[in-house]
Amino acid sequence: MKSALFNKIRDLIKKSIEDPSFFTSNAVGIMRGTCYLIYYNYLKRNIKIGFPFIVHAKVRIIGPGTVSLGKGCRVMKNAFKGLTIITLSTNAKVVIGDKCFLGGITIRSFGTVEIGDKTMTAISLIQDSFIINYDKLNDKTKQRLPASKRISIGMNVWLAEGSFVMNDTTIGDDSVLSSGSWCHDAAYHDYVLIMGNPARSAIPIEKLLRLKGEL
Amino acid sequence: MREFLALLRGRIFIFSCNLTGKNVKIGRGLRMYKRMKIFGEGSVVIGENCSVCGIRGDSSQYTCLETLSPAAVIQIGNNAALYAARLAARFKIVIGDKVLIEEAGIMDTDFHSIARDRQAPVSETEDKCRVMVGNRVCLGARSSVLKGTTIGDDVIVAPGSIVTISVKPGCTVAGNPAKYLTSA
Repeated sequence: MKSALFNKIRDLIKKSIEDPSFFTSNAVGIMRGTCYLIYYNYLKRNIKIGFPFIVHAKVRIIGPGTVSLGKGCRVMKNAFKGLTIITLSTNAKVVIGDKCFLGGITIRSFGTVEIGDKTMTAISLIQDSFIINYDKLNDKTKQRLPASKRISIGMNVWLAEGSFVMNDTTIGDDSVLSSGSWCHDAAYHDYVLIMGNPARSAIPIEKLLRLKGEL
Repeated sequence: MREFLALLRGRIFIFSCNLTGKNVKIGRGLRMYKRMKIFGEGSVVIGENCSVCGIRGDSSQYTCLETLSPAAVIQIGNNAALYAARLAARFKIVIGDKVLIEEAGIMDTDFHSIARDRQAPVSETEDKCRVMVGNRVCLGARSSVLKGTTIGDDVIVAPGSIVTISVKPGCTVAGNPAKYLTSA
């Protein structure tokens, strides 16, 4: 255990000597992230961010709900849009696991949103209601909106660019949400590829790999 | 206080529009929480008691109304709420009362032809391309309404959908191209 850690540190030092920009970008990211961490953990209520928090783009966490980010999350520069989390009610709860790569994602929630460890995101939208500002409208439409329900995303999921996750969706571990896909009111198994707007039935990735001859 | 400032900002906006001689008519009681820009030579008509807001957490987006020709018309009814809406008209866009538009776009032209020179499209006419949106319609985030569509009353357009066909009243549509999720 100790030697593994020692090797990791040695590799990092080696890499930073070879490529100084690697070292500077990471150092700036950690410093920026620590500033955000201090601001949100100690000056804002109901927000907890784990250390280390590496940030290369803007982070905005707004609203009265509770938000918790795990250890070792990174906010990447994805089309210059950082991480945006907006909680729209006091019952809202956003839980993000450890070591996530969060770039360009926007989360707007009235209820519970859970994201597992090691999840990668691009410019995608997670929203648990169709219309957010519906309550502010004076005269409501005749039909009711679908109720905002829990969204849960498993471990090691990849949300590709332009994907939408709407209310009442469950995505299993190791799955991939392809770019431009849209899912609502569905539960998906582990290790599947989800495609389409609106999403059709998911394809197991093992089957795809076997067809390609990679397995 | 916030309401008062928004009303004041709306008054100032109406006054500045009159001062610059734009072809803009805005009813009473406009509330501006975030900025709005109106481009072009066409006419813009906005009803009474409308509110102009932005998307929370994204300050770079704002409401933008653009007319691409002097004959173009954008007409918005009373009590509309525009949350970072983007409208671009070459012919005519008519929006009803009590409409909520949220980070979505409406356009009645393709801007360019698909021919190799990419000039303005030739075959577009007003009858084919005008967009009509009914009363009490909600447009979700990152959705867009394309040319030649008519959206009925009480319709909800889900986030991320591209509306290319006309929608019956009282339905919910989603997807690219938009399909009916629930029918009336």
